[in-house]
Amino acid sequence: MRLFKTILTVGALVLIFLLLNDNQGSIPPLGKFLNPFAGFWQNNASLDQIDEVLDVPGLRSAVKVVWDERQVPHIFAENTYDVYFAQGFLTARHRLWQMEFQTQVAAGRVSEIIGAKAVEFDRRQRRRGLLMAAEKTINNMNEDSQTQLILQAYANGVNTWIETLTPATLPLEYKLLNYQPETWTTLKTVLLLKFMAWDLTGRNSEMDLSIIRSALGAQFVKRFYPADTPWTDPVIPAAKPWRFDPLTPGTPPPAFEPQFIRDLATDQPDRDNGSNNWAVAGKKTETGLPILSNDPHLGLKLPSIWYEVQLHTPQMNVYGVSLPGAPAVVIGFNRDVAWGLTNAGSDVLDWFEVEFKDKSYTEYQYQDTWIPADMRVEEIQVRGAPAVLDTFPVTRFGPVVTIGEQALDNGHPVGLAMRWIAHEPSNEMAAIRGLNLATDMASFFKALDQFQAPGQNFAFAARDGDIAIRHNGKFPLRAEDQGKFVQSGRDTTGEWRQWIPQEQLPVISNPWRGFVSSANQNPVAKSYPYYMGWEYDDYERGSRINDRLAAMDQIGFKDMEDLQMDTFNKQAELMLPFLLKQLDHQALSPDQLQIVTELEHWDHWSKAHSKPAWVYKQWWLKLETAIWADDLDLLGAVRKMPSRSVTAQLLLQEPSVAYYDDQQTPAVEDRQAIINRSLVETITDLEQKLGPYGAAWELGRARGTDINHLLSVKGLGRPGLMTGGGSGIVNACKQNHGPSWRMVVELGDPPRARGIFPGGQSGNPGSSYYDNAVDDWVAGNYYDLNFLMSVDSVMDSTLTLTTLRNSQ
Amino acid sequence: MITIFLTLILVFVLQLLFYSWWWIILVPLLLGFMEKDSVARAALGTGLGVFILWTGMGLYQWIQGGQVIVRRITEVMGVGSGGMLVLITGVLGLLVAALAGYAGFSLRKLLIKEYQIS
Repeated sequence: MRLFKTILTVGALVLIFLLLNDNQGSIPPLGKFLNPFAGFWQNNASLDQIDEVLDVPGLRSAVKVVWDERQVPHIFAENTYDVYFAQGFLTARHRLWQMEFQTQVAAGRVSEIIGAKAVEFDRRQRRRGLLMAAEKTINNMNEDSQTQLILQAYANGVNTWIETLTPATLPLEYKLLNYQPETWTTLKTVLLLKFMAWDLTGRNSEMDLSIIRSALGAQFVKRFYPADTPWTDPVIPAAKPWRFDPLTPGTPPPAFEPQFIRDLATDQPDRDNGSNNWAVAGKKTETGLPILSNDPHLGLKLPSIWYEVQLHTPQMNVYGVSLPGAPAVVIGFNRDVAWGLTNAGSDVLDWFEVEFKDKSYTEYQYQDTWIPADMRVEEIQVRGAPAVLDTFPVTRFGPVVTIGEQALDNGHPVGLAMRWIAHEPSNEMAAIRGLNLATDMASFFKALDQFQAPGQNFAFAARDGDIAIRHNGKFPLRAEDQGKFVQSGRDTTGEWRQWIPQEQLPVISNPWRGFVSSANQNPVAKSYPYYMGWEYDDYERGSRINDRLAAMDQIGFKDMEDLQMDTFNKQAELMLPFLLKQLDHQALSPDQLQIVTELEHWDHWSKAHSKPAWVYKQWWLKLETAIWADDLDLLGAVRKMPSRSVTAQLLLQEPSVAYYDDQQTPAVEDRQAIINRSLVETITDLEQKLGPYGAAWELGRARGTDINHLLSVKGLGRPGLMTGGGSGIVNACKQNHGPSWRMVVELGDPPRARGIFPGGQSGNPGSSYYDNAVDDWVAGNYYDLNFLMSVDSVMDSTLTLTTLRNSQ
Repeated sequence: MITIFLTLILVFVLQLLFYSWWWIILVPLLLGFMEKDSVARAALGTGLGVFILWTGMGLYQWIQGGQVIVRRITEVMGVGSGGMLVLITGVLGLLVAALAGYAGFSLRKLLIKEYQIS
């Protein structure tokens, strides 16, 4: 009996140990997690403490770090190695978990952390070839000794930080998910860059467009999916003459109907990844100095995507935001120049249908012969389960991302191979380093020559007065519409053979109008000799920015900040009066009429407290869907709808076309009917969801912005932020997406700058520096960015100094 | 009383040096094993020792700059308040340690009895 009781007790003890020592589903290992000596209790504000002196083995000389009141490190080093070492060390101090997690996502290694539920994600990620691309690129980067030095210095800094960690100081997320950081490598930095490239160039509608063309015809596609969307004011003004002899692209590939239909939309990057940037010449500013502004729009998460930093060596002094996990400053300024990025949107990803000989997938058809594919084997480690092996063919086009279960009539299986610019070896690191060191327009452009992907519109301003913008990247030379549809991989017609020469890229400097700008719209007008893609953003943001900049004079900081915060809805200004005119007031209830009256009196500003702003937004979405969803419901899904401006133009010009009719209803709707019906439905839906017309209908409440934690853990995010703006609005705040960094720089000597991002420097949810800027960001406030000229600059009470010294 | 005190001191020192949470199993197991007579001392004494230590340390961390992390974790875990979080931490420690102390005591009884028979 005693034996039995003892065995039972000891057994229970062992069981409890096992239960509390490991994750149970999504519950953290409670024994470890609640342990007040090493669990979450230790991730408190004490980790923010700034030491006067820190012993840091591995530094070549002492490094001084000035911290300001927002915990931005201003790093003063004697040499290049030390400055990036210190950047790695300090970034890891604040953001280690995020840095590592993002690279695990990029590499398709999430299953190692969260187990079997991520295997499908990892498989997709690996087949997209991010890891493959990073491996190729790191070899290329290592050929440049300077790049190698920078990447290695940063990695050494990160690893030196990792070595200082104890079970108590480990970042919270490692404790939640119960795992340990691994050694940082230069490959991880490159993975991060490839991940950004994916985020900004991975979106693609080729499969949808092929399906639409098959079903509705080439004319339909030509009319409703044009590259030159209505009212677009291109990045490079249409009047710009192109004085070069263009290369001749090949003939457009013949129309090809893919036989393998697959929805490729799964976890594609957000369609709203975009940005605004502009530079204003001194002749338009209050001080006579050029001003540069940039606000990149990305998914908003905590910890923040950006990390603010100043890097100073005898050769360099640069300030701005960096990507946690990569050395140098990505968006920022130095003493001579400032630069900002917006996504280029030009097409650098094509899908090719590949026909295999048999189910071994080792040979595929190319120019009437069977040629061998490279078989890549990926081993996906899975937490708590055996590793999964995934083998996929890599063709001359790129990796085969999806393979069909069913063979063609001839018995051959098919797959879709992805040709993607980021698979090419490149050295963006050297380019970014070059931007950090640039002193004028010539050195800036020279640095950009190495920047291949993701293609960006680089806006630029210099202390010597120059302003410029370049649609920059490595872009394949394309025939008209080449790459708009899935292409056949059986021959050479769709292959990328040549590139648009760097000296022929769309660029403009010091235009007469005194400013340059971009907002992801088509970079060029028809006069530019090359076709670069078609899925650019609609005209609204770019047009609003250009209208405002053209009208402004004596520009100061406040004007630029106001423009970044501008919530004027150009699309509503164009369409709402027209739509309201179509309404049949007789058919509306008094409640509905009251809302219509509010819409009539709305000033088209999508402010956080505006109710009509949300009603209009929903009405427009409902209207678009009512017009297109039935026509585009093809092969089991609603395919890509025409862009806002294309639909707007159709509505303005055509009172009666077949597309207006909703085929789901017996009645035949014309324009007026569909407009009326969609408004009534919108109001009914909103009443159901939000109750009677009132405060709950305000844009900031009904939509607002939720900044979630990267793992979407409730309690670690900042939901319910009262924001205005939206798609097609300069202040592009959306529910989980928006201006991830707002920066305005005036190129005086020294430069003055202001900026903010919706989060904070620390990645520790237990730190007040985790989300300290969020409320100011919502309110449209900016912080002065302390660009220090030397470490001896005024050390006032807001600044603290740490000396990092090599103790060895 | 002495068991409470011994548990508290031993676990405190070992956790300060080596962090691991399972010291709240090992130490009570050992002390329970060393306890000759009283099952209450073995289980309750060790349990209370850990309860006081973990509650106290939790409170200390909370006060020493832990306001933000405690607020967030109460939300993550769906616990009403910081005080409740401290209590949960302490009670978890108590239950685990008491079970370990009891197991230690039982083991002793078993082994020593077998020893006497042989």
